[in-house]
Amino acid sequence: MFEAAHLHKRFGAHVVLEDVSMRFAAGRLTGIMGPNGAGKTTCFNLLTGRFAPDRGSVRFEGRDITGLPPRRIARLGISRSFQVMNLFDDYSALDNVLVASPELRARGFSMLGGLVEAGRAGDVLAQVGLAGKEDVRAKDLSYGDRRALEIGVALAARPRLLFLDEPTAGLGTEATARIAALIAGLKRSLTIVLIEHDMKFLFGLADHIYVMHWGQVIAQGAPARLRANPWVQRSNLGLLA
Amino acid sequence: MILSVENLVKLYRRRFRQTFRLEASFTVEHPAIVGVMGPNGSGKTTLFELITGSNAPTAGRVLCLGQDVHRVKARERDRLAIHYHQSYQVRRFARRRPDFLLAPANSDYPAVHLFDEPQFNTQDGYIGFMLDFFRRLRDEGRVVFLCLHPTERYHLEILGEVCERFIFVDRGRISLHPNFAALAADAAAAAYLGPST
Repeated sequence: MFEAAHLHKRFGAHVVLEDVSMRFAAGRLTGIMGPNGAGKTTCFNLLTGRFAPDRGSVRFEGRDITGLPPRRIARLGISRSFQVMNLFDDYSALDNVLVASPELRARGFSMLGGLVEAGRAGDVLAQVGLAGKEDVRAKDLSYGDRRALEIGVALAARPRLLFLDEPTAGLGTEATARIAALIAGLKRSLTIVLIEHDMKFLFGLADHIYVMHWGQVIAQGAPARLRANPWVQRSNLGLLA
Repeated sequence: MILSVENLVKLYRRRFRQTFRLEASFTVEHPAIVGVMGPNGSGKTTLFELITGSNAPTAGRVLCLGQDVHRVKARERDRLAIHYHQSYQVRRFARRRPDFLLAPANSDYPAVHLFDEPQFNTQDGYIGFMLDFFRRLRDEGRVVFLCLHPTERYHLEILGEVCERFIFVDRGRISLHPNFAALAADAAAAAYLGPST
């Protein structure tokens, strides 16, 4: 469905991505994990068109989208969330989802159409567990709710491919479990690519995982295969301390 | 021949007094994972900088895939040898010659990979993936240098597990060892590694 081949990116004297190739199969959840500074977000930025790669190509459903601007990539059915949240704080949860809906963007807001769209936006909010909080302003939501709303905003565009950049960043155990359940629920209907720092979170959700470090893919495979690595076993069991 | 370090000398002077002298001469003919150890200030990072071409030698030369690294365009030198380091280790050096007078690199992906004290954390399980990556680079025909200060017991385990040969750097001089036992038999290296070996 989505394929990146031999991506290379340099910022000045620094190589930030070196020969990165990834494939995201339709209907699957693919995880990208790695320590801080490994190049995960830069990789996302190249895949979603924020930066153009110096070398390499990105294809979505057979079409070459390398170097297309983010808005054109978004229109093809690709949405993303950000590690640092991007919400309209003074607007209600419902309005945040509404402004991201494609119909509204296509022809502006009208009374009659508006009702239909508000209904759809309400469905999106229910999908991310925010039913009943439609009118709460984004800034008054709890941190976990804001994270869920971010995913809702990304879903409002009804993407076929959803990129999520550390959706659990800054969350406690309980809120993380809630986001995990939410993502697990979306998994069937969407193709999802998820950046995550927390191995356990990803091992439980992903169908396939790419491990990044030094701007490169240093390992990949199904969670069970990666988990079998003896050093992963030892760290899980606390034998390395 | 992947890497040839030929009569390399780096002198640091303050006024007319020599403050540091690094000397190195060795070759790595075949793909390998080479462990690099030595006390702080012994010249490990300087050696890495000379191999990647960011720091110019006083004498001697470094050939990577047959190309003199220091005669390759500065921004293409990392296509021959690349230095992975922590941001606090980055040092900048003045350039002697502009790039247009220098040769392009004959390679697209680096042949020599120098890992300068990579973080091996106990909490996450990345160590195993990092070691697999070093092995993959070697299996694809490249040379990996792994510089590590063994401050924890498992650091020695890592070096013993993944490295095939060793370089010990001590006060600007290097010694080569074909395996860990030979390294541990070297008096200076044994003193550095401590009683745990």
